[in-house]
Amino acid sequence: MISPISNFRENRLVTFKSEPKEKTGADSAYDEDTLLNNNFATRTRIGLDKLTKAFTIYPAKGLKGSINSNFYEFLTLGQNVPFIIGSATLISIFNSVNKHFSHNAAIKAAKLGNKMALGVLLYALAKEASKVLVTKPIQMITGIDTELPYAKVNYFLQERPGVYDDLTSIEYHKVGESVDFPRWDLLYGDPKKGEARNFRYDKIAQKNGLGTDLNDSDQDVKPIYKEVLVKSKLAKSFSSFLWAVTAVALAFQKPWDDYFKAATLKVWKGKDFMHSLKVFGRSLVRSAKALYEGPVHSKSPITKHAGKALLGLAAITTVLGVANSVHLTQKPQKHNDVINPKKESVVC
Amino acid sequence: MRTTNILQSYIRNNPNTQQYQSDKVSRDFDVHRELTNRTFIKPLPSNGKLLNPTIMDYPAEIQKDIKYDIKAFYHALRGKANDHELGRLNDVGMKFGGLVLASYLFTKKQTPKTKLFEFIGFGTFFAAMDLWPKLFIQLPAQLVHGFNVRQYYEDNYGRKKLFYQDHQFIPWDLYPDDVINRIGDRLGIPKDIPNRRNAIQEKMRQIALQNNTLWMLTSGFATPLISALLCNALEKPVNKITDQKMDKFADNLLEHFPQEIKKYDFSKGSAELAKILTENEGKPITKELVESLHKNISNGLDKVVSDSLKRDLDLLLPQDKNYKITDNSVKAIQDTIREVLKPIKLPENIVERIIPNAQTLTEEFTSKGLLNGTYNDFTEHSKTLQRILTKNIEDISSEVDERTKKQLQFNAKKIVHSQKLGKDSPLFEALKLEPAEILTPEKVKTIKAVSDRLNTFKAESAVLDRYAYIKVAQAPETGLANIWNHMSDEIFKAMNFTQDEIKQARIDNEIATEILRNKMESIVANKESYTKFIDKMENLLSNLYSKSTQIDMTQDENAYKTIVNSTCDNTAKTLLGNGMRHTASSIGGIIDGYGNIVSPNTSSRQLMLKFVDDRIKGVKSSFYRFLNFADLYYRIAHLDGRDTAILNNRIPKEVKEEMVELAKTIMLEGHTSDFAVKFWQLRNPEANKSDYRQIETANGKVINQYLGVGEKECVEFANDRHYFESVMKLMYGEDLHPDTAEKIKKSGFWDDFRNFRKDALEILGGDFYFAKPNHLVDGRKVKSTSEQRFILTGCAPADVAYKAFHNMFNSGKWFSVFGKLGAGLIGVTLLAQLFIGRNKNPWKNKEAK
Repeated sequence: MISPISNFRENRLVTFKSEPKEKTGADSAYDEDTLLNNNFATRTRIGLDKLTKAFTIYPAKGLKGSINSNFYEFLTLGQNVPFIIGSATLISIFNSVNKHFSHNAAIKAAKLGNKMALGVLLYALAKEASKVLVTKPIQMITGIDTELPYAKVNYFLQERPGVYDDLTSIEYHKVGESVDFPRWDLLYGDPKKGEARNFRYDKIAQKNGLGTDLNDSDQDVKPIYKEVLVKSKLAKSFSSFLWAVTAVALAFQKPWDDYFKAATLKVWKGKDFMHSLKVFGRSLVRSAKALYEGPVHSKSPITKHAGKALLGLAAITTVLGVANSVHLTQKPQKHNDVINPKKESVVC
Repeated sequence: MRTTNILQSYIRNNPNTQQYQSDKVSRDFDVHRELTNRTFIKPLPSNGKLLNPTIMDYPAEIQKDIKYDIKAFYHALRGKANDHELGRLNDVGMKFGGLVLASYLFTKKQTPKTKLFEFIGFGTFFAAMDLWPKLFIQLPAQLVHGFNVRQYYEDNYGRKKLFYQDHQFIPWDLYPDDVINRIGDRLGIPKDIPNRRNAIQEKMRQIALQNNTLWMLTSGFATPLISALLCNALEKPVNKITDQKMDKFADNLLEHFPQEIKKYDFSKGSAELAKILTENEGKPITKELVESLHKNISNGLDKVVSDSLKRDLDLLLPQDKNYKITDNSVKAIQDTIREVLKPIKLPENIVERIIPNAQTLTEEFTSKGLLNGTYNDFTEHSKTLQRILTKNIEDISSEVDERTKKQLQFNAKKIVHSQKLGKDSPLFEALKLEPAEILTPEKVKTIKAVSDRLNTFKAESAVLDRYAYIKVAQAPETGLANIWNHMSDEIFKAMNFTQDEIKQARIDNEIATEILRNKMESIVANKESYTKFIDKMENLLSNLYSKSTQIDMTQDENAYKTIVNSTCDNTAKTLLGNGMRHTASSIGGIIDGYGNIVSPNTSSRQLMLKFVDDRIKGVKSSFYRFLNFADLYYRIAHLDGRDTAILNNRIPKEVKEEMVELAKTIMLEGHTSDFAVKFWQLRNPEANKSDYRQIETANGKVINQYLGVGEKECVEFANDRHYFESVMKLMYGEDLHPDTAEKIKKSGFWDDFRNFRKDALEILGGDFYFAKPNHLVDGRKVKSTSEQRFILTGCAPADVAYKAFHNMFNSGKWFSVFGKLGAGLIGVTLLAQLFIGRNKNPWKNKEAK
């Protein structure tokens, strides 16, 4: 463990040890970088952690010019704050002034405003949700979870003399976040816990037909793991945005007008709220149909089939992205072909 | 199998032969020397560089970036891309998604401007995303702190990165000492401190970090806001461009008319027609055949022409009237009887005896002249057959039981009586097998000729309709609608309404009317403001006049009119030549006995010409009325006690006040419906006949001495014949004020405007029962249609204003809210620079120690 230099000057040793979970909560319950389960609860916790810090700690540190501000904080800030504020601003631009307009103008403006607001929300939702369409099939086919998270214990430099609090922070990364430097080390098992060292690599190797009982499955798996990471990132980059814009196109369909007439978020008005949900479902189905079928009376084939083309493009991109990701070209050749047992070999 | 460690293998071999050669490594770098003398170990010299492109370098930079992205895509596709490449591809994905969305929404929009704005919206959004940090963070920061906080550099591998992106890894070695020292001087870092370069770097890092954070915190607000404001600002210029483009496009339609009509393909319909004709040539003409021919040829024609075509086809191809009765008919009758008797299940020999044999039938029909001719009345055939059948049934009655006999008699009647109302009896169906008329080769030729000509007409009228739509339709972004919007915007801008007036006026039509009246009265009160306003009106009306002249139907010749006439003439001529008189008339107009078109009424020609004519007249009338409205108010405001032709000393002052009030009100807000429901007004039935002075005015308003004084009711005098006449003359008959005339008499629209006033006076004032029966201007009675009066009245200034107030308020309100927000955001972001870099300086800590 590397301690801040100033500790030596003050002849004081600072140790980093997590406090009991009950006392501090989950955030600081890591002594070292720890692999996490990729499940809904973890993803939600990580998302909320990042969201909260993006609006509180990170901007405060950034505005102070803190020496400990890092790229993770900058990225977290960039992935949350501009999107959330931008979405709210965009919705506001199309809605907030409408109430000042005359009745007819307000109704007309609200039609566009409501669709724009729905479009913004569906964009965000579809962009995130659609990633599953890429990652899950890849995981099912290759056994590689490209979204596997881990908690990173981050050590800070001491900012003020004599103050030793807050010298660590927990960051949430993904094992495959960097394709240049994936965290291979975290994928090894811990013999202390009774885990085989290569058990994760073994599983992936077996899933991809590299065989079982391999001496060094990690070495065989790493190239294909990296290949899948790169290809899946490419697939996600295009398909997620295409699904997002498809969702916006969906929000701009006429059947939503019915929903906006009945829409209410007043949960305490049970009947109205349930009715609103029912109309939402109905409008969603009809809008999807309208997007697919296009305007009934349109003579232009482009206008008529634009929705189909959009949906098709998103679906094809996703399918091709997944197909490309699971088409592995970096598989090691069979050992028999590589090593001639009769000749001298060099082993790393 | 023997194995050897790779390091051992390396050591065993001659290191000189294994040395890695690279262009990127310095020539004098010797890895073995470095390894043996470890005190010299240091990082490899960097090949990266700071990037400071000028605006001239941007095209090359963009090209380089595109190349890089294409390569990155290829690498990623093969699973060999690096983090930087994948990061850039994510941006490409976002922009590609945006472009796809803009393209989809483009297809959903109807008009060129709204279509274009889908891409403009996309462009401004990404431009705002890029420009915001450059203009409002990077630039002010550079001015305040003396260095680029968004500096880019190229690393060893040619990858472009933000210098201050990762604060744990800033490649400071790319900054030479002299540059760093210069920045340090600007940042006010003392020159005599130890390790000055580190101090400067730390200060730069702090400032860059603060600015990066500021960028992230503000861009969410800024990007949509700046994008929306940019779109708002671009609306008018884009409108102008699309308007010009569409105008040019429409002109090209007529300029290349022969080529344009060829773009319409009727080959499918023609092939279908040819198939129908081939299949039916030489065969009897049936109702179904005529209907299928009509359906094919009339596809794309309007209902009037289509109905006329049906009438002509019915004449050309007569059906359901005469039928040939021949030996074949005799056979058909026998078959029908056999079919009808089938349910009774009689022995075959009995059936054969009941069914009249061919010879009997032929003889019976021939003797009565019912065979070998054309017939449309089959009563005699029925009677004859009925008689023969009765006799035959009687003949076999002894051989069947009573029940069967009755069944036979009943079925015999079924042959000649239809079972359903309006349906032919089985006998009639048998007799109608051979219609007298057949589709002859001559008729086929005629139908083909008619179809070909009508197909050409469909293409021609489609091009002409498209032209007319783009130029004058009452639809968004059409030529005339754009002119209307522009003119109404400019007129009300020239009238200088305050925000408060606009806010009040948009609430209610009556408030808008009052505010407009007050504003006009304040403008006309002052010659200078009035002259300025009329100058603006003159400018706008000249523009309207010049733009509408090319499609003005009152002109003898214009391209549209010429082509409409030649199209309709040629089509009507060809159709007449083929005997399609009704169709020819529905396209060309009323045709006399000699085949000449004597009037375009009720024809496609009239529809095409009138549509354009009415639209232009309607728009011109509305704005001419606005000019007349201004002039009337000015004339009244500047009477200065003088008599005029109408407001003279023969009319009591009280009546003059009433008259002026009515004229001002009609001109401001009168509709044709107001004329129809009469003008109920505050009037005194017993006007003061002792005061004949001129009315008094001040500040553009009439100072009423009598009107509105005391308790008066709204009344309407049916017998005051000259009152309406005088009001009409006051509005449209009196000469324009010299100040108005002076400004517009040299304009192109001068004569047109005077004709408008003349027509309004004559037609609105001359209709027998428009205002009141027989209340006519100068006693002249004019026959006019309600449509004519509607077009001449135009849109009331108060109505134009009410709509304009709405638009002004809505766009003003939006701009006021978001413009202020944008300005506030820019202000805060700029001011933030003054607080950035104010942290405690690191070297001061050291000094303190």
